[in-house]
Amino acid sequence: MAKLTIDGKEIEVADGTRLFDACTLARGEALPHFCYHPDLSVAGVCRLCQVEVEGMPKLTIACNTTVRDGMVVHTKNERVRKAAQQVLEMHLINHPVDCPICDQAGECGLQNQYMEYGLYDSEVEEADKVNKKKAQVIGPQVILDKERCVLCSRCVRFCNEVTGTGELGIYNRGDRAEIGTAPGIELDNNYSLNTVDICPVGALTSRDFRFQKRVWMLKSTESICTGCATGCNVRIDHEAGRIYRLKPRRNAEVNGAWMCDKGRMTYKGVHDEKRLLSPAAGGERLTWADAGQKLAAIAGAGVGLYVGSAHQTLEELWLLRRAAAGAPVSGGLANADRGQADALLLDADRTPNRAGLSLLGVGEDEPAQLAERIRKAQGAVVILGGDPAAEPAVAEALGGRTVVYVGTHRNATAQLATLALPGATWAEKAGIMVNRQGRLQELRQAVARAGDAREDWRILAELPAVRGDAPASLRALRQAAGADLGLDLTNLPASGLAPAGAAAPKTGGDA
Amino acid sequence: MSPNDYRMLSARFGRNDGHKLAVYEAEGGYRALRTVLSGMKPVDVREQVKAAGLRGRGGAGFPTGVKWGFVPEGADQVYFFVNADESEPGTFKDRYLLDYDPHQTIEGTIISSYAVRSNLAFIYIRGEFGWLVDRVQKAVDEAYAAGYLGKNILGSGYDLEMIVHKGAGAYICGEETGLINSVAGRKGQPSIKPPFPAVSGFLGKPTIINNVESVASVPFIINDGVEAYRRNGTEKSPGTKLFSVSGPVKRPGVYEIPLGLPFRDFFNDWLGGMVEGEKLKAVIVGGSSVPVLPAEEIMNCNLDYESLGQAGTMLGSGGMIIIPESSDMVELIQVLMHFYFDESCGQCTPCREGTGWLHKIVKRLRKGEGTPEDLALIEHVCAGMAGLTICPLADAAVMPMRSFLAKFRPEFEALIQETAPAGPQSRWPRGEREN
Amino acid sequence: MSKPMDTKAPWSPAPGTRARIEALVARYPTKASALMPCIWAIQDEIGHVPPAGVDLLVETLGVTRARVNEVLTFFTMFRTEPQADHVLQVCHNISCHILGARPVIAHLEKKLGVRMGETTPDGKFALEGAECLGACGHGPCLQLGKHLYENLTPEKIDRMLESLRRGEIPRADTDRELED
Repeated sequence: MAKLTIDGKEIEVADGTRLFDACTLARGEALPHFCYHPDLSVAGVCRLCQVEVEGMPKLTIACNTTVRDGMVVHTKNERVRKAAQQVLEMHLINHPVDCPICDQAGECGLQNQYMEYGLYDSEVEEADKVNKKKAQVIGPQVILDKERCVLCSRCVRFCNEVTGTGELGIYNRGDRAEIGTAPGIELDNNYSLNTVDICPVGALTSRDFRFQKRVWMLKSTESICTGCATGCNVRIDHEAGRIYRLKPRRNAEVNGAWMCDKGRMTYKGVHDEKRLLSPAAGGERLTWADAGQKLAAIAGAGVGLYVGSAHQTLEELWLLRRAAAGAPVSGGLANADRGQADALLLDADRTPNRAGLSLLGVGEDEPAQLAERIRKAQGAVVILGGDPAAEPAVAEALGGRTVVYVGTHRNATAQLATLALPGATWAEKAGIMVNRQGRLQELRQAVARAGDAREDWRILAELPAVRGDAPASLRALRQAAGADLGLDLTNLPASGLAPAGAAAPKTGGDA
Repeated sequence: MSPNDYRMLSARFGRNDGHKLAVYEAEGGYRALRTVLSGMKPVDVREQVKAAGLRGRGGAGFPTGVKWGFVPEGADQVYFFVNADESEPGTFKDRYLLDYDPHQTIEGTIISSYAVRSNLAFIYIRGEFGWLVDRVQKAVDEAYAAGYLGKNILGSGYDLEMIVHKGAGAYICGEETGLINSVAGRKGQPSIKPPFPAVSGFLGKPTIINNVESVASVPFIINDGVEAYRRNGTEKSPGTKLFSVSGPVKRPGVYEIPLGLPFRDFFNDWLGGMVEGEKLKAVIVGGSSVPVLPAEEIMNCNLDYESLGQAGTMLGSGGMIIIPESSDMVELIQVLMHFYFDESCGQCTPCREGTGWLHKIVKRLRKGEGTPEDLALIEHVCAGMAGLTICPLADAAVMPMRSFLAKFRPEFEALIQETAPAGPQSRWPRGEREN
Repeated sequence: MSKPMDTKAPWSPAPGTRARIEALVARYPTKASALMPCIWAIQDEIGHVPPAGVDLLVETLGVTRARVNEVLTFFTMFRTEPQADHVLQVCHNISCHILGARPVIAHLEKKLGVRMGETTPDGKFALEGAECLGACGHGPCLQLGKHLYENLTPEKIDRMLESLRRGEIPRADTDRELED
C-alpha cells in the first residue's frame, strides 16, 4: 500500500495505482483531462491533468505517474490551475465556435473545462484559425468534424486496442494534424458509436442522433439492452415519451464500458410505426373492456398450449407458466433470432432471456415440433411475445385455430391472431432478464407505454388460473416468483446479480 | 591554440580518401576495437567513457558513460541507435563525420554497442542526407567484409549486426523516442516518459541512443585513454567538440575545438572575423533552439556548457549561427518560428497549437498588422508551451522566441504601427475584459 | 524522379523493388519496422507511393492502411502523388536566409516561371521550400533527389537548369570524385 497526500488530504491506495485515479479518489472528481481513458492505453497528449508533485521540478501528468509512498501532490494550487488554464487555451485557439449547432453541447469536455478553468476572452484572430473539413461522413453511424477535434487520440486507440480494426489514424504534422479514416476505408465496425461516446468534444458525433435533441433536455433511465444475450448495461436517454439514444453503462462483469452499434439501435423498435397499439380482433380495434371479455370467453373455452419467448422477462414467463396450470408450455422457437457472434460483445443469440427460460425449466421447440404441439393442442393457443408465426410451419399449424397473442408489433403472429393484445416493449416496463452468464439484470421503464399497451404481466393476470389470486403489483409478482425459484428478485443491485450470488437462502415456506 | 592542434574527431576532414577502410586502418583505425574485444568487459568500457567525462554531443550534454549504465542488468535484448538525424538549424557537424570519416563512427558504434551489450545497432541518417547514405552503407559493408561486424567479431564471440536506416524528413525524429518510434514503423512522435528508453525503448526493450559525434569520440578515449581525453576541455566539459559555423564569417565550416575555448579567440583567430562590410550583431551558439546572445554578451563567453549556461544560453548541438548587423531580427525569428511550426509533430496540444500561433503572430507583425498587445501575447503563448509538453520541441521554439524578443525588443516594437490605437483592442465585438 | 504513370493499369512493383522489399523484411527485427525502408524502395522506383503501393505495404508488412497513411503524411519526403521530373527543394531556414536564400528563390521563380510551391505546366520542375538541409556553412543550398547543391549563385542555378533541361543531373560538390 502507498500513503500519499493530495491537496493536504492523506489517502492510502494499492501500490501501482495511477496517480490520476488516486487524485479522483482524493478529490471526489477527476482531474481535467481529454486523452486519458481507463479502458485504453495512456497517451499523455492533452496535457491537462498536470499536477505538482513535491520534489519534481516540472509539473507531471497524473495519467502517466504511479503513486509512491510519501508523495505530496497539489492539484488545485495556483501553479497547477494556471497550467490547466494555459493548456485549455491552447485547445481552444483553433476550435470553432460551433456550440450553437454542435450536438456535444451540454456534455462537452471543452465546455465543462472552460467553465471551470477558462472564462476569459479569446486572444485569437478569427482569420488566424486553422480550417479543416467539417461534417464528413466517415461511416454508417459516425460523422466527423475535423475542426472540433482536440486530437486526444481516444478514437484511434479504441479502434486499435478494443476492436482491433484500426480504421482511424492521425495524419499530417503540427496543427495540420487531423483524425480520419485511411482513403478507401470507412469506420464501419459494429462498435463505431463507442468512439462517439469517448470523443470528449463534438468531433465524432452520431449520425442517428444528429440535431435530434439538446442533451440537457434528456432524462436518463438505467436499463439493459435486449438485442442479444449479453445484456449490456445501458442508459436510455429520453424526453417526453421519446427515446433518442442508448448509451452503455459501465459494468465490469458484463460489457465493460462498451456496447455494440446494433444494440444501440434497438431503441428504434419502441417507436416503430408497426407498433401494436390497441387490442384487435378480426382486423378491428377493440377497447380493453371488450378485449377482456373476448379473452375471458376464449380462456373459458379452454387453452391447450401456452407459448412463451426468450424476449419476455423472467416474471412474465414465470406467470405464464403459472397461468398454464399444468397445461403444455413451450418456450417458443428454439433457433429463432440467432445470428453471427463477434469477438467482443455481440452474442449469436439475439434474445435477452433464453437463460431465463432455462432457469424456469421451460424448453423451446424446433419449428416442426412447435407446429406439432399446436396441432395437438386441445383448445386455444396463447402466445406471449416473439413471432413464431414467421415460421411457415408454425403459421400453417396456427391457421384456423383460436390464437391469443400478446405482443408489441403488428407482426405475422399478431396478424393471424384471433385476439391480439398490445404488450409493453422493453423500455416501457420493468422486468428482469437473465443474460448468457446467468446474471439477473433489471429493465427499468423509461417512457410511457405507447397507445393502449399494457404491462404483459397484467394481461396474463386476466387468465383464469391466475385471476383469482393475481399479484397486486410487480413487486408482489417478484416475491412470488422469487420464492418459487429460490432467488430474491426484489432487491437486485444496479449492476445485476451474478449467478453465484443468486443462491439466496430459501426462506421457510413464504410464497 | 590553433585549429590544427585538434584533430581527434576531424583527422580526415576535407580529404578525398578518409572514408576508405584501408586508409582508416593505416591511420590507426579499428585498433580501439581490437583493444576492447581482446580484454575489456562491457563494464570496463562504460567505466572508461564515464571517467573520460564525455557528454552527449547531440545537444543535451548528458554524460554518455552514465547513460550507458541505465540499461538494466541482465537485459535479454538491448538495441543501440546512432542518431544521425542532424536537423537542428545551423548544425552540420555529423554530416562531416559521416561524409569524411564514416569508419570512425562505425568503430565507435561497435565499441558502444558492446559496452551496452547490444547485438543490433542502427545508424539513423536523416533522409535529406540521401547523398551520403550510400557511402555510409558502403563503409558498413567494408567493415562486415573485414570481420569488424557480423558474428564472432575478431574471434571475440561478440556478434553485432548493423543496419543503416534512412529517415524521411522530420526534425522530431532527432528526439530519442521519436527516432525509436519511426524505426518501429510508426510516425516519429516522441513517447511519454516514463518508461525511459534505457529501460523500455525499441520494441519494448532497453535502448540506447547516442549522437554521431558522441560515438565517434569513443575510439580516441579507448586508444589514448582518459587523461589524454581530459587534457583538452574543462573539468566539467572535457574533451574536444565539433562546432559547425555558418554565416558571413571569413572561414565558415566545421571546427574541432577544445571545450572552454574563449569565443573571442575562436571568432577572431579561427573564423577570421566577419567578412568585409559586415559587423557582428548576434550569435546563436548551439543550434537554433538555444537563446540568442548579442555580440557584446557572447564575446565574454567561453565555449563550454557551464560558461554558456551562465550567460543564459546553451552549448546545444554546437551549430553556431553568426548573425550580422544587416540582418533583421524579426525576419529571422519568423524564419525560425516557421521551422518549429513545420516540424511540430502535432501530438500534444501546447506545442501543436502554440507553434502555429507563434508563427502567425510574428508573420502578422511583419506584415504591419501587429498591435501593442502582440508582444505580451507572444509571451503569453510561450508561457502556455514551455515545460508543459511531452518533448522539448515546444521549449526549443520558445527559447529563441523569448530571447529574440528580450534582446532585440526595439526591432519588434518598430514594426507595431504608431497609428494602432493604444490600449486593449477588440478585433471583433466582445465583452468586458475585466472578469 | 518519377516515371510517367500508365493510368490504365495499377502499379505493381518492379522485380528489383520486390526483391529489395523482401530483403528488408528479412533484415529488420519486425515486419512493421521495415515500413520506412520499404516505402523508400517503392519511392526510389516511381517517385511516390500510389494506392497500389499502400496495398503492397499493408499485405507485406501486416500493418493497417491507416498506419501506412499516417507515416506517408507525417514525413516530408514521402509522397503519395506523382512528382515532377525534378523537384528542387531550396532551404529557407536561418543560415541560408542570412547567406541569401531569398534572392536565390526569387531567381528560380523567375527562371522557372512559377512561385514557390508550384510545378511548371510541362511537369518538369517543381519548386519547394525546405527546412535546414545540413549545409549551413555552404548556403544557400538546394536538394534535388539524392544530390545536394551548395554555395548557390544565380549563375550556378542557370547552369543547373540548363543541365536538367538537357536531361543531365548536374554534378554537385558533394558528389566529389572519391578515390576508389
